Parts: sequence; C-alpha cells; structure tokens
Amino acid sequence: MSHAMAWVMSGRTKGTLAGAALLLGGAYLGGSGLARASQAGPQITYEEHIAPLLSDRCAMCHHPDGSAPFSLMTYDDAKRHARQIATVTRSRFMPPWKVDPGDGPFIGQHPLSDAEIDLVERWVEQGAPGTSVEATSRGGETGAGPIPPRGWTTGWQLGTPDLVVSLTEPYRLAGEGSDVFRIFVLPIPVDRERYVRGLEFRPGNPKVVHHANIRVDRTPASRALDEADPGPGYTGLIARSAGYPDGHFLGWTPGQVAPLVPEDLSWRLAPGTDLVVEIHMQPSGKQEVVQPSVGFYFGDRPPTRTPAMLRLGRQTIDIPAGERHYTITDSYVLPVDVQVLALQPHAHYRLREALGEAKLPDGTLKQLLRIKDWDFRWQHVYRYVAPLELPRGTTLSMRYTYDNSPDNPRNPEHPPKRARWGQRSADEMGDLWIQTLTRSQADLVALETQFRRKVVAEDVHGYEMEIARHPDDVGLRDTAAMLYLELGRAEPAVEHFRRSLALKGKSAPAHYNLGTALTLARQLDEAVYEYQRAIAIDPNYANAHNNLGNVFLAQGRVDEAIREFREVVRLQPDSPSAKANLAAALQRKAPL
Amino acid sequence: MAIFPLLAVLVQTLNGASLDALAAPAGTRAIVYVFTSTDCPVSNRYAPEIRRIDQAFSTRGALLRLVYPSPHESQAAIREHMSQFALSDLQAVRDPDLALVKFVGATITPEAAVIVAGKVVYRGRIDDRYVDLGLERPAPTTHDLSEALEAALAGRPVPHPVTQAVGCYIADLTR
Repeated sequence: MSHAMAWVMSGRTKGTLAGAALLLGGAYLGGSGLARASQAGPQITYEEHIAPLLSDRCAMCHHPDGSAPFSLMTYDDAKRHARQIATVTRSRFMPPWKVDPGDGPFIGQHPLSDAEIDLVERWVEQGAPGTSVEATSRGGETGAGPIPPRGWTTGWQLGTPDLVVSLTEPYRLAGEGSDVFRIFVLPIPVDRERYVRGLEFRPGNPKVVHHANIRVDRTPASRALDEADPGPGYTGLIARSAGYPDGHFLGWTPGQVAPLVPEDLSWRLAPGTDLVVEIHMQPSGKQEVVQPSVGFYFGDRPPTRTPAMLRLGRQTIDIPAGERHYTITDSYVLPVDVQVLALQPHAHYRLREALGEAKLPDGTLKQLLRIKDWDFRWQHVYRYVAPLELPRGTTLSMRYTYDNSPDNPRNPEHPPKRARWGQRSADEMGDLWIQTLTRSQADLVALETQFRRKVVAEDVHGYEMEIARHPDDVGLRDTAAMLYLELGRAEPAVEHFRRSLALKGKSAPAHYNLGTALTLARQLDEAVYEYQRAIAIDPNYANAHNNLGNVFLAQGRVDEAIREFREVVRLQPDSPSAKANLAAALQRKAPL
Repeated sequence: MAIFPLLAVLVQTLNGASLDALAAPAGTRAIVYVFTSTDCPVSNRYAPEIRRIDQAFSTRGALLRLVYPSPHESQAAIREHMSQFALSDLQAVRDPDLALVKFVGATITPEAAVIVAGKVVYRGRIDDRYVDLGLERPAPTTHDLSEALEAALAGRPVPHPVTQAVGCYIADLTR
C-alpha cells in the first residue's frame, strides 16, 4: 500500500477506522471479490487486509490484557508474529473453533475462511508489508495506530454486574508440570431468591487460565471439600451435589461470554448457594497468581420457562489399551417438539471425533456438530444464534470415536492403559448435552419424565464402574441402589444395600433401606427381618414400623400388621396416613 | 578434526561485549545453546526444564547459554525476562545479526544446540512434549537434549543429531 493511502487512513478517528475495517473485513468474507483481486495480484498490506481480520477474529484474546500470550493489535505485533500467524491459521489451530465451519450458526463463531487463510499466507510471503507506528516518531503521521478489537471492551463485557464474587485468597500456580485442574468454592451472598440472567467469569490471570467449568451447589458438600484441602480450593472431583442450575449451562472459554438470557428464562438462585468453579490452568514457566471473579446479572421477574437439559452418552466406556478406533453411540427420539438452544460435548483426553446429529421425522439428516480433532482443553458451550426447531419424532444421536493407542499424542498414559468410564481425567467420558426448550409446561414435564428414565439407566452403569474402583464407598452404593429402585430393578438394589449395611455396621436406616429393597424384590421374609433389625436398633423408627406393617399385610399376618400400625400412630399421632393404615388393617381383620 | 583455527561466530554478551560463541572456556567439553525469546509461550514453559538441565550438566563439563536472537529485545528486557523466569543464574547472549542462528541452523524458539569442539553435534527440541503448536503430550516421552548431552559428554555419537523443534519462529523475531 502506498504511503499516501496510509496517510489517509490514519487521518480518521478510531471509530471510523474501525468502521472502515469492518467494511473491508465484510468485503472479504464473500470470496468472489477476493478471488478477482488475488488473480490480479495486488500487494497485500497490513492496514488494508490484515488489520480487519485481526480485529474481527483475533482481538478478543490477542489484546494486551487478554488470554493470548501476546497481543496482535499493532502492525509491529503482527509483523513479529507473521510467520506464526500464517502457520497457526493454516492448521486452524487459531482462531480456536473446534466444530465444523458449517455447524451452527453459533454465537461467537470466528473461523477463518479458506480465502482468508490464503490471504494471510500471501501477506507473509510478501514480507508482511505495512507501516510501522515507530516510524511516526520521526515526524509525519504514517501507519495505523492499534486496532480496536471488534465487539470486545475492557472491563466487564456484559456491563456492570449486579453482584461480584471473587476468590478471597489467590491461588498460586506452580511454574511447571501438567495442566492443573483446581476447584474453587465461592459463596454467593444473596439475601433472597434472585433470578440470574447470566454471569461473567473473569479469570484474573487470563494468560494461564485456560477454561472454567462452573456449577452451583445448594448443599454444603463442595464447601466441605474445599475446607478439607489446605490452600484456596481443592483438587479432586466436583461434588455430585454441584450441578448446572435448572437446565442452564455455565462455563467459560477465552474470548467468549454467554449473552444474558431474557428475563423469562432466568434461573433461580437461592440464598446459601455456592458457586463451584473448576479452573483449568496451564503452567507458564514461572509461578503465577490466579484470583478469578464472577459477575452476576439479575432480572427483576422470576422465570416462566425452564430449559430441559438432555444428555446423550454412554457410561459403559471400556477402551482396551492400544485400541485405535473405539466408538460409542447413543440416541433418543423426542416425544415433543423442542427448540435446541445450545450443545456441549464432553469427553476426556482420548476422544478424537465427536459427532452429534438430528434425524427429522421426514428423514432429513441435520448435523448438529462435528469435532474432528477433539481437544480436552477446549470445553466450549455451543449456543445457537437462533434456536433450532426440532419436531416431535426427531431422533437425536451421537457417535464418539476414541483412540487409546500410543500414536495419539494426547493419550494421558504412556504406554496406553485400559480406559474405563469415570470422572478423573485418566478415565474417559462421552456425553453430548443438549439444552432444549419445550412449547409448554406440560411438554416439559412429559419430556423430563421420559428422559429421566433413560439417564438413570445409563447412570447405573457409571455407578457400577465407580463402585468397582471404590467398593467400600457407602455413598456410591446407596445412590446406585436408589437408582436401581427407580428403574424397578430391585435385585441389584438389594445387593448394594446389603454391602452398604455390612460397611456401616449397626445402622437402623441401612437395615430400613435393605428392607425396602427386599420388599420390592418380593423377598418378604427377609424384608421383615431387616425392618425388625432396624426397630431393634431404633424402637421409635416410625417409617420402619409402617413399612413392616405393610409387609405383614402382604403376608396376611394381619394381627402383626395392626400391632405395627398402632405403634406408628403412637409415634406420629398427627399423621393422617398412619391412622389410615391402621384403619385399613383393622378392616382386613373384621370386614363389615 | 580441523587443524586450523575455526572461524569465530560472534555474538554479544548482555553487557554488549563481543563473544566467540564457539570458543569453549577451559574445562568445558560441550556448549549448549538454547535459543529463546522474551515472549514465546513455548520457550517460557520450558524455563524450569532449562534450569534443570543447566544444574544437571554444568558440573560435568557442559556450559549452557541462553541465546536471544531478536534485535528488538534490549538487554534490560532480557534481564527482566530472565529474572521473571528464574533464569538469572544462567549465562545469556544476544544474537541480533543471527550469526549463531545461521551457524546452527536454528529456526524456532525454544531450540537447542550442542557444540563440541566447534561442531554442532545436536540441534533440535529439548524434549518431545510438543508435537505441534496446540498439540502437546501430557508429559514428554523422550528427552532429546539431555540424551544428546549425555552422549556428547561421554564422547559417544549423538543418536538423533537433528530433531524438529516446535515453538515460535526466529524469522518472525527479526522482521
């Protein structure tokens, strides 16, 4: 570009320069105009061709206080990374966007077109021409100043938050080692129920924080784990009680922020809730201090709609060491119309390709997303720009393919080891989360009720995997047993409650649980024994008396049933059901 | 082995004095050069490993020097960088004319070279942790620089004299 043209460009204000940059950027997205220009072979310059791309696609991270290791906001910056820019854009390592370019459209999508990648490469081959701002110090205005990042401001992207919570004690990240996953628990100080339209995570040290998984915990479980571990946060697993709120995704990846949802789609935040943030950090070579904060944005009105979070996936994953192509699939037929709002694939290190599809009732196949080069370190929520309508009868499906061979450089084990489902990063997972909205509350209930059964059927496999690793964890056993009961599978529930009881020793509730499972398994004599053991330990255990009474009735032992129900009425004189059970038993004895 | 004096490869100390990069001080059997820069995230992540290699081999006849090829990085900036990354105990040189870069054939930061008696016996990566930019192993499986140094100090041939380094481009530093 000639000096004259450079002079004209720099005479504009920042605002219009940005406007001009956008115009230029827009012109090159189409491709055909660009092809004509490239055939004519004009010189490509930073100001005219490269700065607009950097502003639009790179600036959200490559600004001075951004997540990227260096800024690319001036010509000198770009020149001194020119060959690197050409290489990383050609390999599509940058900008980081893992799904196929045709998927979506999703919010925050920034992949470069092939034509744009060619443009960058030609610029570098031509010697990365442009005009340095340093030259301006010799008098005369030449060269453009730093480009303003399009769509990115300093400070909070979503505006001033209504509430900010921060890590009180900074975390010190060691200078070296593998990636660190540390879980921080932040109490959210609200004095009444609030309606959250969104939240913004600020890493505090954007250069080393790679992404964050965010959850809420309404119980003290996460806080207890944090307190048990010295130093800020704890290392381990996210507690089972910490989850996404009411059908909403939370999380953070660099350069992106989820837009605020409309007020009717906010989620309820109760007092006493903790924010649980699992932060993934990459050591930088020197010790770093990390002190993130989270801004909350509230709406004034309670939500009237709740999304349904559907999960496709398998917990039966069991990949032999050395296996190159291990595939899991799952599918689900929608019983109601939905709008898909967002998708989140999840797996650990060995996944290579993730595919999610929707097959409509008329046979049309729509690819929801495909990631050909899965990278565990890029965990993103893909939010649709406009919701995707899927009618009742659509089949949602997923297919994930893993590589547990030594040729997979991301394999965490060297040599490879058998990899089974589990939540530690050495284990594997494979889920596709699909956030949907139904047309009505009735549809929501129908969808969630039906889908719950599918999820629980898969969850028990995961629990069996974990119990195999931790056979003496009574929490796992009890939860697994409850899930089996929900599925109507009483025999496995009996086995787990038996083991749990053996581990707990003298425990009235453990006998009670086992008694209940035995009842459902139609092993009534054994159930009687367990309820009686519970009562022997705790004679005032009203529920045990009640259930024992019911078992006696089922066995035709009416007098014994009456004795138990009388005891329940004695213990709970105000309980209508206690009186009703007693009345029913007396009826059996002496029918009118 | 050459019987005439080798041509000097001139670099600069951080004080601006000229230094022959191939001239080994007395008692030094191998000189290790690690090409680096002040703002390459890959070479920064290697700072602790570079320190470890220096500590492990400096008592065995090896001298490790950092090389900053960028003409845009001042002495002050380099000293600051070394202080931040706990590398101040190491020697460092500047190579703004790319004399050593060209002699070795280095193209990347971080990239290492082992020089014995004025000859490059190893050039390439420090270890194989990085497969490509954005593609790293959880941990390295080969420690190429250390293995090369072991061989060089023992007088054995280096098993893999050239490996591909991954990181930032030296060509970019000098634009």
